[in-house]
Amino acid sequence: MSLLWQSIKRELKRLASSWTALIMMVVVPLGCALFFVSLLSEGLPLKVPTSVVDLDHSAMARQVTRALNSTELVDICQKDESYEAAMEAVRSGKIFGFFVIPENFEKDAIAGNAPTLEYYTNLTYFVPGTLSFKGFKTIAVTTSGSVAKAKLSAVGVPGDMIMPLVQPVAIDSVGIGNPWTNYSYYLTPSFSFGCLGLIIMIFTAYTITIEIKRGTSRQWLATAGGSIDIALMGKLLPQTAVFWAVSLCVEAILFGFQHFPMAGSLGWLVVATLIFVPACQAFATMICCLLPNPRLALSMVSLFGILTFSFAGFSFPVEKMYGAIGIFSYLSPVRYIFLIYINNALNGFDVYYVRYYFVALLLFLYAGMLFTRRLKKSCLNPVYVP
Amino acid sequence: MKNAFLSVARVFRQEWHLMTHDVGLLVFFIVLPLTYPIVYTLIYNPEVVRDIPVVVVDECRSAASRQLVRQAAATQSFGLYGYASNMAEAKDMWADHDVYAILRIPSDFDRNIKIGEQSHATLYCDMSLLIRYRALMSSMTDLQIALAGDITSERVDMIGGSAAGFGQMPVESKSHFLGDTQQGFASFVIPGIIVLILQQSMLLGAGLLGATAKERRRRGGGVDPLDAGAGPVATVVGKALAYTVCYVPLTIYVLHFIPWMFALPHVGSAADYLPFILPLLLASAFLGQALVAFMKEREYVFLVVVFTSVIFLFLSGLTWPRYAMSPLWHGIGGIIPATWGVEGFIRINSNGATLAENAHPYLMMWALTAVYFVMAVAVRCFSQRRAQGMKAQAEG
Repeated sequence: MSLLWQSIKRELKRLASSWTALIMMVVVPLGCALFFVSLLSEGLPLKVPTSVVDLDHSAMARQVTRALNSTELVDICQKDESYEAAMEAVRSGKIFGFFVIPENFEKDAIAGNAPTLEYYTNLTYFVPGTLSFKGFKTIAVTTSGSVAKAKLSAVGVPGDMIMPLVQPVAIDSVGIGNPWTNYSYYLTPSFSFGCLGLIIMIFTAYTITIEIKRGTSRQWLATAGGSIDIALMGKLLPQTAVFWAVSLCVEAILFGFQHFPMAGSLGWLVVATLIFVPACQAFATMICCLLPNPRLALSMVSLFGILTFSFAGFSFPVEKMYGAIGIFSYLSPVRYIFLIYINNALNGFDVYYVRYYFVALLLFLYAGMLFTRRLKKSCLNPVYVP
Repeated sequence: MKNAFLSVARVFRQEWHLMTHDVGLLVFFIVLPLTYPIVYTLIYNPEVVRDIPVVVVDECRSAASRQLVRQAAATQSFGLYGYASNMAEAKDMWADHDVYAILRIPSDFDRNIKIGEQSHATLYCDMSLLIRYRALMSSMTDLQIALAGDITSERVDMIGGSAAGFGQMPVESKSHFLGDTQQGFASFVIPGIIVLILQQSMLLGAGLLGATAKERRRRGGGVDPLDAGAGPVATVVGKALAYTVCYVPLTIYVLHFIPWMFALPHVGSAADYLPFILPLLLASAFLGQALVAFMKEREYVFLVVVFTSVIFLFLSGLTWPRYAMSPLWHGIGGIIPATWGVEGFIRINSNGATLAENAHPYLMMWALTAVYFVMAVAVRCFSQRRAQGMKAQAEG
């Protein structure tokens, strides 16, 4: 016990004397969380800049333009006189899409010649592209509906029969847990956890392998009485405590101050976070044991850690990835905290349904202990390869 | 003038020698740009989400409700997982991750169609990933329009409306997608990510070399034995040129062959996007040298640069458009070369824009090149002065 305490004291001294430690352990993770909260605070990037190409200039065309402008999805920020002009505005990035009202639109609509409203959306930017598409489509369909209504009532169809005629079957959609389709509710917690995991892994790998680089690894082991396990515990436990405090702060910011939805129990998410922190440390420790060299270990956790943001399936579902690629998602602790977050906080499932993710996080702790003997060997014989 | 040129050439040669003899650097300068674009594309290459498992709770059990399910199952996103006898059972399937949506057809669905009222069905959709929700929504909208076509014409016939010239929808509509015509995920995200990879790998490499030189100087008591011994401007320029020359073949590979290999959108002209990306490379090479100010030793490059990739990705507007950012983040995004690089390259590559149409991001990148050049020179001057101090101390 006293050996462990000696090792902890040694590490505390090292941490307290380094600005880098303070910045990496506290400022950067909290800064990342605040960055996402602040950047995505709108929830949805509404009012996508778009344009209208009105080739008809009739009363009905102006009505369509007004209807477009009144939706919250698009903002008609300019009017173009031709398809080419609007296309050039898309290419130079002024607008994300445009709506074309054809010549003789009003005349054809009234005469029953079924004119075609065309709309163009630039999907090279997914979110504004999707939102402007949705706005354009809604207006195109409702324009059709309102012309139909006017015509039906003109031929004497009673008012209460018109709506069932225009739209006989309505499929209402309910987005469970996030009816506002708020982007921040997906991205902010998952990327905050992702950044936290990345920084924990990089910092853990840095503090372990730097002992080898500086040649202090023998003294580190000696403080722990020659036991690599005590030495690792002594080194990592103080960091665990700091990262616990930081991750709880992140959760307090999200669920306390920012009122992110919490349909399940915050308690279980906190428990998951408390396991997640040492799981990331254990993952990095395992890498350091296998590659006891600062450059290789740090390259490995960095390259893998950055890919984790994609593997973890924050935006593209893992089950649709190629099997040989998707399998990597299971190797990352970030994947499990993400699954626990969406299932617990967004969907409100009972902890029973996420039990395996807790088990997986616990398995990382075990994996961290597997190869420590290898690390001990290189600690006794520190060779620095730049 | 000739002297300055020779100094730059000397720095270039020395830096090239260091680059080719540092395994850690080769990982950043060669392996990373070669493999990352491939790995990223492989992750997102399935492009679209199809056949999302949906369970049906049919409380109506009529010909009309079965017809609705058949038509729904025929859409691209809707994959019929099976029927559940009630909502509780369906919810249990959802919680078990067997399905991602529940289609509930109420008991009066058929009756309402028969008596000419509006019928309702409800799709309860899992919101854990927006891409699934978006795909299902778009299928359901198409389904509604198709159903309207079928049932409406029948009903209008019945009340004699077709005699009044009302047979189909009075106004048609047609949608066109630009840039990413297949609405694929890889087609959208990869053109942006590859530009960011160029910048970040350059920052990592330039930072690593700079920090290593700093370490050597510290060990040598203020003298870096491998320094070319040129003035600050010549050193900064020579190094940046060495990195940029190394990146020319990689840039062609990343910007041309990656989209080509994976059949991603690639309609831009090389005469537009290659000159366009040049200031990005130069600005990154200077920024990397300026960032050395924060690095005490080689390993610091991981601490300083790696996590910024995530932040820069968001600031570039690829995920969250720049027009919706607050002035603060809009401004900070503006000082990152990749923000402009991503914006312009996507338009050239996916929308077929020309260099002239992207004059604004192009000029912004040149402006950043100038700014970071000055910063890199300043950092170099400062560290040279400190090295002289160290040397004087060591000698005195």
